[in-house]
Amino acid sequence: MSEIEVIEGPGLDGKRRALVLTEDRIGHYPEFRDFFVKRFSLDTIGLARSGYIRAPSGTIYSLVFVGRSGKRFPDGLEIYALVDALEPLNDAGVDTDLWALLRWMIQGVGGEWKVEDLDATGRLYQLPFLSQPG
Amino acid sequence: MKLDTAKKVGPPQHFVHDEWPYEPKFKRVNGWRMHYIDEGGGDPVVLLHGNPAWGFLYRKFVKPLTAAGRRVIVPDMIGFGLSEKPVSERAHNLDGHIANLTGLLRQLDVRNATMVCHDWGGPTGLGFALSNPDRVHALVIMSTWAWPLPPAEFHKRIFPWRMMHAPLVGPYLLGRHNALAGRGMYLSVVDRRKFRDEAQSVYEGVLPDPATRLLTWTWPRWIPLDETARGLERFQWLERELKKSKFPTLLVWGREDEVFDHKTFATRFKELLPHAEGPELVTGRHFLQEDSGVEIAEKINDFLDRIDGSRP
Repeated sequence: MSEIEVIEGPGLDGKRRALVLTEDRIGHYPEFRDFFVKRFSLDTIGLARSGYIRAPSGTIYSLVFVGRSGKRFPDGLEIYALVDALEPLNDAGVDTDLWALLRWMIQGVGGEWKVEDLDATGRLYQLPFLSQPG
Repeated sequence: MKLDTAKKVGPPQHFVHDEWPYEPKFKRVNGWRMHYIDEGGGDPVVLLHGNPAWGFLYRKFVKPLTAAGRRVIVPDMIGFGLSEKPVSERAHNLDGHIANLTGLLRQLDVRNATMVCHDWGGPTGLGFALSNPDRVHALVIMSTWAWPLPPAEFHKRIFPWRMMHAPLVGPYLLGRHNALAGRGMYLSVVDRRKFRDEAQSVYEGVLPDPATRLLTWTWPRWIPLDETARGLERFQWLERELKKSKFPTLLVWGREDEVFDHKTFATRFKELLPHAEGPELVTGRHFLQEDSGVEIAEKINDFLDRIDGSRP
């Protein structure tokens, strides 16, 4: 599965943002919040703009970081696919793109968090696009 | 305005199943619509499920218990089953869920109750019992815990536990893919073929959309792993109060339970409650009700007959 690429703000003409995943508690394990803060310079940018990534399918996703009073920023994260305004999502493509994003995230978080463990978790729960265990 | 307007709101879905012929009932608790069934008459037995189950887990308990002259109340935790499913993670916390149960059981004026506690039905049901001792008669404890800090070595592991509900992974795996209600439960019973054929689709089907599955990854995040954990003080309170309690108690555990293994967990409950009977071991992993439902129901009947003096 190819890599996630962080990109600058893309053109949004003729596009819509389709919500594909919501995380209400990105800092449940603080190292996950730290990863996004570092990767998108959130300690200086704050809420000023979204992050953008290009996924293996070529689809661009917008990462909207959510702040809450009294909580470290970001507290939540919403992920939107940027798709043609009037076209439906390709759910299967979104699924594999999000999996690639999770692998990229786990690799970036590092430490005790290993991509191998994420892959093993995906296989344990039989994600349809992963090879089945023997 | 009277808050108990749930019947006007109505259930979100109509559930029909041969093994669940019970009239759905609803009460408004803490602003949420809670589903429950209320069958039979006599002293109440309250059957409490955990994550990601609902009252259906106790489908094989209802008839044996009511046939023995008991009233059976089976609530669906807010966020599961046919109860309302809030879509904000902040809607869920341990104290709130204890208060939800308290709200229901006080509205039903439940007294002299036997609380049957499983998984998160443990901390919530025991929380109710210990804060409403005048309404509780006895406890039945199955595959759960009630003390702070990691309940088991398993819960500290990245694979398969912490990765499953990690940030973004939880909403993806348990939300988009309904992994806990499907594959997760399947892996946590002994007779997997029977579970797959008879029950798995029911658990999956009652959580039909990602947004309805929020609690399946929220509850795992409430298990304390260190001193900074949410809910730590409540678990400390549970342990402290449980140790002081004198409720007649029966421990029932799945022989094959690898997560809440009986050697660790039932033993710990015996240390807290030396007067407890058991553990009675039955065929079962974590969801032991699926493998040994009728047998456990009969053990509850025997236990209650014994402590009530109607059986030697």
